[in-house]
Amino acid sequence: MFIHNLKYFFKIIFRNRMLIFWTFAFPIILGTFFNMAFSNIEKNERLDIIDIAIVDNQLFKDDEVMKNTFKELSNKKNKDQLFNTKYVDLNKAKELLSKNKVVGYLLLEDNNTQVVVLDNGIDETIFKYVVDEIIQTKEMLPDVIEYELLNSTKKDREVNINEMYSNINKMIQEDKSKIKDISKSNLSYTMIEFYTLIAMTCLYGGIIGMSAINMCLANMSNKGKRIEVSPICKTKIILSSLFASFIIQLIGLALLFIYTIFVLKVDYGSNILAIILLSLVGTLAGLSLGITTAVLVKKDENTKIGIMISTTMIGCVLSGMMGITMKYIIDKNIPIVNKLNPVNMITDGFYSLYYYSESNRFLFNVISLVIFSLFLILISSIRLRRNKYDNI
Amino acid sequence: MIIFKTFLKVLNKCKFPLILYTTILVFVCGFNMQTSENSLSFVESRPDILIINQDEEKGITKNLVEYIKENSKIKKIKDNEQARDDALFYRDVNYIIYIPKGYREDFLNGMNPEIKIKSTNDYQASYADMILKRYLKVANTYQSMEKNENRLIEKVNKTLSKKTKVELTTKKDTDSIEKMSFYYKFLNYSILAGSIYVICLILSSFHEEKIKKRITISSISYKKHNQVLLLSNLLLSLVVWMIYVVLSIVLCGKIVFTSYGLICIMNSLIFTLCSLTIAFLISTLVNNKNAINGIINVVALGSSFLCGAFVPLEFLPKSVLKFAHILPSYWYINTNEMIKDMEVMNINTIQGILLNMGILIIFSIIFIILANMVTKKKLKSN
Amino acid sequence: MKKIIEVKNLTKQYKELKAIDNLSFDVVEGEIFGLLGPNGSGKSTTINCILQLLSFESGSIKVFGKEMMPDSYDIKQKIGVVFQEVAVFDELTVYENIDYFCGLYIKDKKLRKEYVQYAIDLVGLNDFVKFQPKKLSGGLLRRLNIACGIAHKPKLIILDEPTVAVDPQSRNNILEGIKKLRDDGATIIYTTHYMEEVEILCDRIMILDKGKILASGKIDELKQLANIEEKITVEVNDITKEQLSKMSKLKNVEDVSFNQPNLVVTYKKGNNNIVKFMDYLNKEKITYTKIFSERPTLNDVFLELTGKDLRD
Repeated sequence: MFIHNLKYFFKIIFRNRMLIFWTFAFPIILGTFFNMAFSNIEKNERLDIIDIAIVDNQLFKDDEVMKNTFKELSNKKNKDQLFNTKYVDLNKAKELLSKNKVVGYLLLEDNNTQVVVLDNGIDETIFKYVVDEIIQTKEMLPDVIEYELLNSTKKDREVNINEMYSNINKMIQEDKSKIKDISKSNLSYTMIEFYTLIAMTCLYGGIIGMSAINMCLANMSNKGKRIEVSPICKTKIILSSLFASFIIQLIGLALLFIYTIFVLKVDYGSNILAIILLSLVGTLAGLSLGITTAVLVKKDENTKIGIMISTTMIGCVLSGMMGITMKYIIDKNIPIVNKLNPVNMITDGFYSLYYYSESNRFLFNVISLVIFSLFLILISSIRLRRNKYDNI
Repeated sequence: MIIFKTFLKVLNKCKFPLILYTTILVFVCGFNMQTSENSLSFVESRPDILIINQDEEKGITKNLVEYIKENSKIKKIKDNEQARDDALFYRDVNYIIYIPKGYREDFLNGMNPEIKIKSTNDYQASYADMILKRYLKVANTYQSMEKNENRLIEKVNKTLSKKTKVELTTKKDTDSIEKMSFYYKFLNYSILAGSIYVICLILSSFHEEKIKKRITISSISYKKHNQVLLLSNLLLSLVVWMIYVVLSIVLCGKIVFTSYGLICIMNSLIFTLCSLTIAFLISTLVNNKNAINGIINVVALGSSFLCGAFVPLEFLPKSVLKFAHILPSYWYINTNEMIKDMEVMNINTIQGILLNMGILIIFSIIFIILANMVTKKKLKSN
Repeated sequence: MKKIIEVKNLTKQYKELKAIDNLSFDVVEGEIFGLLGPNGSGKSTTINCILQLLSFESGSIKVFGKEMMPDSYDIKQKIGVVFQEVAVFDELTVYENIDYFCGLYIKDKKLRKEYVQYAIDLVGLNDFVKFQPKKLSGGLLRRLNIACGIAHKPKLIILDEPTVAVDPQSRNNILEGIKKLRDDGATIIYTTHYMEEVEILCDRIMILDKGKILASGKIDELKQLANIEEKITVEVNDITKEQLSKMSKLKNVEDVSFNQPNLVVTYKKGNNNIVKFMDYLNKEKITYTKIFSERPTLNDVFLELTGKDLRD
């Protein structure tokens, strides 16, 4: 009987195009959209080469430090190239700026170094900062020369101009600062979008569980009446149907994993067992949400599906599907909301696997999901154990 | 009067999806359009930096911290490493500087101590990196010349205080225009999802087999009936559109009343009409109410993602952008992008915008023709 | 005769409304028991109570001589139910639907295949086994609904208005099928508000209204409850008021009514009423084109008992 029901339940679900769309196809389509929209975002946030103009007047031509620095920073062969520089006259510079071709231009006047920009912004700030740096270096120059002169004379020998020049140059140009980058390598925040997608799929899968319950209960569907007058223990048939839903959910999830890993190149970290564990409890959470909706909401099936979809969607928004900042702000300021949000439990589980590859936070999420599911199952089973109805 | 009453009844029935999509709009826009002061003098961008000072806050260490603070927005994050890592991952901070214990002493002794950092590697972080390196370079240079800490600090500060003059040439209220542009770009999703949903729902119930038959046998001609339907839906879309325009005034302020705002409003009106034709086409193609729900989600989310309603156009891959040209949303959003970059408004600059609007109208006409073709074909097959 | 179902003092209350009011009745082996009543009279509620789907306030229900409980699986094994609403899976084909529900009763695959085929033959769905329910017409869908309920060859079959909104052809097929099931040895409870069906089909009937028994017994017994014995309908061209009032004073005549062109005369009792009436018409020189006599129908009985039409 268990197998008989299982077999037919598979048939019923796989032939229900609407269910299959929401639980199988929709996440994959959405994932594709995410990929198309976000694949370039992080690349674009790297510092790009900035287009600038420099007014090529006599003052600039005479200023060796200024000229060399910009030449070096605009060198295409230099891997630290920062600027793409156009050397033009003032009128041309103004024209370029008004047409948005450059972020700003540099104008040297007597006793006045000026940067002209169109607007506020990070590129403009960096442009200005580099000019600051050059002026500041020039400011240091007298001190350094004085020091070198003093040093040379101390040594009681003839002042070697060449040596002194190279020393000064070295002191000014050389960067002795020691900075060590210890950031974690997995910093790609768009991954969160895909994690919410997995979480969404887990919970949408609950719709299948909901159909399973509806199918078995006499007060929910006519088919349920048929099943309840049959000589089959109700628990047995419900368990069989729920087991089938669970398997179908897992198949859908597995497809999504395969698609996101191999086609969209989403990174879930390297701990495969943990990923599987999280997927299992996530699916369970979805299933239990479906059961609870089926049992507690006394409306027709479409309304129930609507409720499932909107609950899940709200959960997704809170855990960062429509902008990952939302998740961070909720996590930081009202953590309790996201600690109770099953979408976030799943999302955060994947996040901790990817970013921290550390177990405490991951385990916390897994345990939360288990508690969430057990709690819902407990509530629903109290209702489910009733085997007569006041009303059909 | 009876038509108006029926109309109100229908609107009442559809209020749930309308409220949902409008709430999302208000929520996301309110969230993303936090006010920043607009000024006509240059304001430096400041990266978000977090300093973890494990050294005593004295002398050269204190000076370093102060310099960084001056040039960045200092963030307060909970005092544990996980909170910091989270902050970095979600770009709440772009750069974390760890000043090691005994930094001051080691530095003064010329040992050039190492500073650890964490970085998001985006342009903000690169800028933060420049700030830190700048300070260290100047400090290191003076350290080799000057042994007295106070004089050293004085010299470092004097050097770093040299700044360039910056002149700002723009005269327009860029910040407000960007806000408005964001709102109207996001509106793409709300209009598509919300109004298509409602219209499809109404139309599909009219297209249901039994009702269709009842209409066919009634005294109203089928063409006349379609006209009435289209007209009442037009009315519905216009009401929804007006609500969104009023909402934009609430959210964006008086910028809506400028010529930029006028373009946005006009543009959204044309797009609303275009959405109406899309809805008309979809509902003639598909009769199943449940299927319509799925299709709307795919159409609305797809157009919004691929055409830059959620993500700035310049961040989209070139191939996606090319593909987006075949979607009406692209031309709608493109106008909103153009407004942002438009320095002056005249015949030349407005040409592109008029072209976009024209293309939207052409799209609408194509959709209507397609819908009519489908209807004809279906009539014959029946 | 063995009692298959014994219901004693059953009462079911829906908030204010008393749906079943102290109801007691038996169903004996091998009969087709008709449960008759207008919509909302408590027929379906009674059946749901017998099946232990609904909770009820008081009363006892025995099926096959044993107390019926929600977990009386041995009893349920022997019952087949066809509900009023069509309860099949849209996603499964005709064959799969029958096989699924039959599989809840019959574990053995080979036997099941045989049973499913028998059910398909019985309701005449052989040409449609691969069809999905959506593609079936209303009548065929009803037949599928029945096949799903009876495929496991139950000893007791409960049919709750199986012929609602069914074309005459399907209805005949269904009624024939039910008779066949009875002939094969099943006991049948049949709920309906079509009295013609009951007259054709049922051995014994019970008329329910507002949860109470109005009458019960064999059809002929019930008909005697009606005050009339015979109804004579005559097609006449025209008739005057005087003639009508004269007629109503004839012997044994209960009532006379004229609705152009039908003249209906009802008799309380008496023999050869039609011959006597024809004589009378000839004598009065009233020309008529057609004349026929009817025995009272259940509808007349019901009308008599409740003052309202059974069909609603």
